[in-house]
Amino acid sequence: MKKFLAVVKHEYKKIVLKWSFLLVTLLFPVLSAAFAVVPALLFSIKSEPTRIALVDETKRIAPRIRENLALEKTPSEEKQPTAEELVKNSTATSPDEQMKRAAEQFGATFNVVEYDAAAKSLDQIKRELTGKIIGKELDAYLIVPSDYEAENAKFEFFSRKAGDYVANSQLERAINGAVRSQRLADANISEDRLKDLSRNVDFTKTAISEKGDEKNTEGVFIASFVISMMLYITLMIYGQQIMSAVVEEKETRIAEILFSSAKPFELMMGKLVGVGLAGLTQLAIWITSALLLVGVGLANLSAAGVNISVPDITPLTVVYFFIFFLLGFFIYATIYALIGSMVTTVQEGGQFALLPIMFLVAGFIISTNIVRDPNSSLAFWASIAPFLAPITMPVRILAETPPFWQIALSILLNGATIGFLVWLAARVYRVGMLMYGKRATIPEVFKWIRQK
Amino acid sequence: MNEQQVTLRVEDVTKRYGGFTAVEDLSFNVRAGKVFGFLGPNGAGKTTTIRMIVGITAPDEGRIELFGQRISPETQDKIGYLPEERGLYKKMKIFEQLRYFAALKGVSQKLADERIDFWLERMNLSDWKKKKTTDLSKGMSQKIQFISTVLHDPDLLILDEPFSGLDPVNVEFMIEAVAELKAQHKTIIFSTHLMETAERLCDDIILINKSRKVIGGSLREVKQSFGKNLIALRSEGGGAVLEDRSLIAKITEHADEREIELAANADAQILLKKLIDNGATISKFEQVEPSLNDIFIEKVKGI
Repeated sequence: MKKFLAVVKHEYKKIVLKWSFLLVTLLFPVLSAAFAVVPALLFSIKSEPTRIALVDETKRIAPRIRENLALEKTPSEEKQPTAEELVKNSTATSPDEQMKRAAEQFGATFNVVEYDAAAKSLDQIKRELTGKIIGKELDAYLIVPSDYEAENAKFEFFSRKAGDYVANSQLERAINGAVRSQRLADANISEDRLKDLSRNVDFTKTAISEKGDEKNTEGVFIASFVISMMLYITLMIYGQQIMSAVVEEKETRIAEILFSSAKPFELMMGKLVGVGLAGLTQLAIWITSALLLVGVGLANLSAAGVNISVPDITPLTVVYFFIFFLLGFFIYATIYALIGSMVTTVQEGGQFALLPIMFLVAGFIISTNIVRDPNSSLAFWASIAPFLAPITMPVRILAETPPFWQIALSILLNGATIGFLVWLAARVYRVGMLMYGKRATIPEVFKWIRQK
Repeated sequence: MNEQQVTLRVEDVTKRYGGFTAVEDLSFNVRAGKVFGFLGPNGAGKTTTIRMIVGITAPDEGRIELFGQRISPETQDKIGYLPEERGLYKKMKIFEQLRYFAALKGVSQKLADERIDFWLERMNLSDWKKKKTTDLSKGMSQKIQFISTVLHDPDLLILDEPFSGLDPVNVEFMIEAVAELKAQHKTIIFSTHLMETAERLCDDIILINKSRKVIGGSLREVKQSFGKNLIALRSEGGGAVLEDRSLIAKITEHADEREIELAANADAQILLKKLIDNGATISKFEQVEPSLNDIFIEKVKGI
């Protein structure tokens, strides 16, 4: 026990007192903030205004389109978006919605170019305007059909930048709005009444949990993304740290000295526990600072009159989170230790390490699905399955806490997996660490496992 | 050999790896306070035997006792083991790794720190205390490895090829350190295939080859058991005796002396008596001991 503690202390200090530990600890919050803000910032880079010519024989639709386009671009012209809005913007529940919002906020702008189409044939108009586009005097033009009310009326849009979906969807909305207004006007409805009728509804999304509580979906989405990312990164980093430490002891033949001082099992478990505690330290720092930041941020926001609800993170959620981190850590660290004692160099280990990484990536990907539907059968199976549960279950708990028996079952199954893996790794470790020179073959490893 | 004086007892030990027998029915005792030479060619089973003594592996048959105790985690703490292939943590400071190795042997940090300072001073390496392994020369890191094996003040020291790769100055340095430990009544097992060093340092030896013991005992006994039929003779007269085929198997003439190989069952004392009786003037009559090297080569080749 005394020796086990000596190994734990040694491994813990070896990691925590290194510069890289401090660096990663500080860098992760910065990076995740960057991940959240950068996409929004990218949208804020305004594209050049689109110079558009509106051709409208009837002269009834074009003015309305122009008016609608002018309305749409006001937000971005009136004020620059603040940082808070940027962050808020990136919390949209789906990428699609995120895009729409960005479009609203930083919308493409249109400059309507005057063009006199009087007494020209349609072909002539098209030829002239296309010529202007080629001559870079114009970016796009729209031809409003004279029979705009007919069912098969076609609005033709020609553009140099037909791929600019932000501009296109904006234009489409403007056109639809314009035609709708005109149809209503044709039906003798006054302009005031019209405005009243076409006012947008106020659409707030609130998810209802099984218990009937109201939940804010955006907060859950971002929190679970951050958490699965955190788990994915720490499990991978610490797993590989274990592997390279094991390989170093094997490569330098320190293993021989270690094995003559303590039991291989003590040495292996000491290493796992020491590195695990280092990982736990890092996570504790991250979570505390995240909770503090969110707390301070919310206080500021509500002082400024903005109300954002965050997912309710209870102490129990945090406890679950640490339990599943530890389960995941011991599963992956043991696999990495096993790999480390089979190979002769870190590079060789890297090839085998693809397997655990695949499991980690799978867990990460599945958890994005779980946030959307935490009660699906995929969510159920993935959150109790060994290897996947350490990432998927915390996400599921956050999105929609499952019944306790499912959490207990998940802990039990993954705990049993750890028991098996530790047994396996210990048997490979005690033999493999003293085998120098060449990589073990799979039949050899099976022989080691059976060896008494 | 007195019972109380035995530090290590190896009895009928056999170790197999699959179909391969690494050590077969090996027995020997190591006397307390002596330097014990564990000799044999590469692949003879030396490292396997040492690994069983330090508790890395267990024998399939037979028993090993250290200070009258079966090998266990407790006996591990009484042994200082310097493996043949050894290393240090590359990126760790010298005193940190020494502390760790000491802690693994159950030494408190305070005591370890005192001993680290003492030994670094002793090895002229005090300036390197806070350096990393990568800054050390090969000889320096071997000294550090030696320090790591004595930090817990072990009663039994096992040095597996301790001088390989050392320059002559450092070899002398290490030999002095070994002599000093011997003076403190530590028992030292010393595995090597360098017979000259073994001859110089060892009180007792065992020679193993192909997993089995070939010869063992005190250095003197071993040599005598080999050397009794070879005689260096410088004399005048007594010619007839030298013709006696019942006494002498072979004579090799050297510049001023003869090397006489006695016939089987012949006694050197009778030869000496007969020479004197025949009126020979003898200026040298010496039973020649073969060098360990000769024994090694003959035994290893002869089997």
